[in-house]
Amino acid sequence: MTEIRNPFADPLRFERRVPECAIVIFGAAGDLAKRKLLPALYRLAYDRRLPASFAIIGNSRTPMTDDDYRERMREAVKQFSEDGAFDEELWKRFAANLHYVAGDVKDAQLYLALKEKVNETQQKNVLFYLSTQPSYYTVIVDGIGHSHLAAAPEGAWRRLIVEKPFGHDLGSAKELNARIHAVFREEDTYRIDHYLGKETVQNILALRFGNGIFEPLWNRRYVNHVQITAAESIGVEGRGGYYQEAGALRDMIQNHLLQVMATVAMEPSAVFEPDAVRDERAKLLRSIKIMRPEEVDSYAVAGQYKGFRQEPGVNPDAQTDTYAAGTFFVDNWRWAGVPFFIRTGKKLPRRVTDIAIQFNQAPLALFAAGDGGQQPRPNLLILRIQPEEGISLLFLSKEPGSGMRLRPVSMDFNYGTSFGERSPSAYETLLVDAMVGDPTLYTRQDMVEASWTVIQPILENWNNRRFDFPNYDPGTWGPGEADAMIAKLGRQWRNS
Amino acid sequence: MASAVTVQPERILKDLQQLWAQMAQAQADSGGVLRACAMTLVVAAEDTADAERVRQTVGVLMHNHPSRAVILRPRGDGGSGAELDARIFAECWKPFGKTQQICSEGIEITAGQSGFSEIAKFLVPLRVPDLPVVLWCRGTHVFTAALEPGSLEPLFPLADKIIFDSSRVPDADSALQFLRRLRGRGGRVADLHWTRLTGWREVLAHLFDDRAMQPNEVKTAQVTFGGPSVSTCARYFAAWIRSALPAARVTLAPGDGAPGLRSMTLLTASDKLTIALGGDHCLEVSGAGRHYRSLLPSVSEEALMHEELGILGPDPVYDRVLTA
Repeated sequence: MTEIRNPFADPLRFERRVPECAIVIFGAAGDLAKRKLLPALYRLAYDRRLPASFAIIGNSRTPMTDDDYRERMREAVKQFSEDGAFDEELWKRFAANLHYVAGDVKDAQLYLALKEKVNETQQKNVLFYLSTQPSYYTVIVDGIGHSHLAAAPEGAWRRLIVEKPFGHDLGSAKELNARIHAVFREEDTYRIDHYLGKETVQNILALRFGNGIFEPLWNRRYVNHVQITAAESIGVEGRGGYYQEAGALRDMIQNHLLQVMATVAMEPSAVFEPDAVRDERAKLLRSIKIMRPEEVDSYAVAGQYKGFRQEPGVNPDAQTDTYAAGTFFVDNWRWAGVPFFIRTGKKLPRRVTDIAIQFNQAPLALFAAGDGGQQPRPNLLILRIQPEEGISLLFLSKEPGSGMRLRPVSMDFNYGTSFGERSPSAYETLLVDAMVGDPTLYTRQDMVEASWTVIQPILENWNNRRFDFPNYDPGTWGPGEADAMIAKLGRQWRNS
Repeated sequence: MASAVTVQPERILKDLQQLWAQMAQAQADSGGVLRACAMTLVVAAEDTADAERVRQTVGVLMHNHPSRAVILRPRGDGGSGAELDARIFAECWKPFGKTQQICSEGIEITAGQSGFSEIAKFLVPLRVPDLPVVLWCRGTHVFTAALEPGSLEPLFPLADKIIFDSSRVPDADSALQFLRRLRGRGGRVADLHWTRLTGWREVLAHLFDDRAMQPNEVKTAQVTFGGPSVSTCARYFAAWIRSALPAARVTLAPGDGAPGLRSMTLLTASDKLTIALGGDHCLEVSGAGRHYRSLLPSVSEEALMHEELGILGPDPVYDRVLTA
């Protein structure tokens, strides 16, 4: 369909209208729907971002009436809305658009019932949201296809949002993509990676390409290395069953952290348009050097915290990585030879996600350092994703007094302070984007396959060996091998 | 927190430094104080009573637009003396769940009529270096008295953006001429009476997002206004439609009701679409297969200023409408 420019658009003052549509959520009684999707949709209604006419149709196996489902979601929205904004009157109006269809996704009758419900709501556009166990994705897509639910009338659309994981390795990702494409076109397929919806991740692009001072330094000549950390202080919190199949490498690095790395390292696109930006991300992912099998032990480290095997639902002999770290190189002119260290883990000392760009030291140490004659610390640019979203620049400054002694100081920018406005949650941003048809922040098939290609050698190595797990204590920064991995290249983790 | 100071700019800045040091000491054991500043916001109040309202409005705005606020307050006795008085203050707030206070600073300068003509010189060193300067000129006097003694005109070159409000100006044409003239000199101007139209404009834009009509099929558009004479907002709205639909014939027509925009009708060869001001601060949309009400957003002064302070760069749509 050719997009006609709206001559009344004024993006500085108001946003594009979210078109009238029905959102069909599979797995509508599950955790994601309760904690994220419904609170995000309610918040959009609160902010007047939803159209006057819309419908949300939930599906799960649990038999429920529309009213039962509304009551459940009411409690969920009250409990999980991030800033506690709950308006009883608004909820009544919002809940009138909530519907529920019980049924097993393997049962063809379910899709006929859903079709009837969509028709009842008189919505022409339909957004399907797969919020179920990944093993049901292809079953549901097939069901949608066979029932012709994916056939849109003239001028309308059908779109599909798929939650991660997109497969469990490269082969299964390709197979999943092929099954989806049998029913939905790639441009109608929205693979959600909520990290890309975070304001602070989007701001990496603003920092890099909206300012003139950073980009000239953003290359191998000035950058010594990059550290990307996504640490959680909690354990698997009841998700042991799922997590022991996934592990940290699949759950975090394959998707979120490689996407963040791509955002940090990608080339600027010529225009800020969905496919132009995604092309550059995909190019970067394809430029990541693939580890040879014999390199995996040097460049990747798996860990498991003490006590994981005692978590409910976890195999007492599980080989799951609750910690994963890797050293990645980008084979292009900008980044050749610059290591990107990525680590993620559970039960680490604190919850933090950040990106630290460490610059090369001054070529000549003119001044004695203030802390006992050690080498001066290098400049660091830290992009803090969570918590306390912001940017810090660490540099050296003269200590007051006689002599020329230098001390590292920090120049901090905090989003919360400079922009008093509430930031929309990642799911609010991404749901609106899918409804208006903007896939910029969604991952494309080639990006998914490129990132699986990057971690495939690590997966194969780890699948074929037996680790001496557990190998780190809760509350520490992971196994000692991770420190050794980075030390081999003459660097060390920022553990502050 | 506020304290009176004498009026040399250097002294004001020094006193601000002292104020920050005192506040930091006072809050040292309870999370500390963070000074936040993203711009210099200069507000020219109409009179003493208005200056009080400004102080409250600025306090609200600072949460989203932390700034050094400089409030220019005409002397209450209407005196024409050249003397200036100044006092400094800080607006502080504590974000929910945080212990650290966030504070922005303010300077209130009181001046007699001839003092105002000197004020531009004072403001130069009081601007926060390298950050944008926004000048908010309140009242209607500014539209007609730009060249009179005590006018604000000398302040205009200091500002990156100047915000006016033409809502109470009786002569819409001269107000628009004044704004065009300033824009023509290269200044960035805004009019809160244009900002008040955002709700109307959003409803109309969304109808075209929904393809209620094809832009190239609209033959005529009629904008109806209330009150004895056409206001700037009606002129703006008509100019906006004209610039978006150059092939359509756009007319302004007087109607019943209070001053301001009352309705808008678009006609194609086969269809009619109307947006009309209804009760309860709602717009009523009818025609082209639609019939619904849409709540207008708040048009409080804080909301309007919040919108304008969010746009410190070029505003191509307003510029196009102003010069149409």
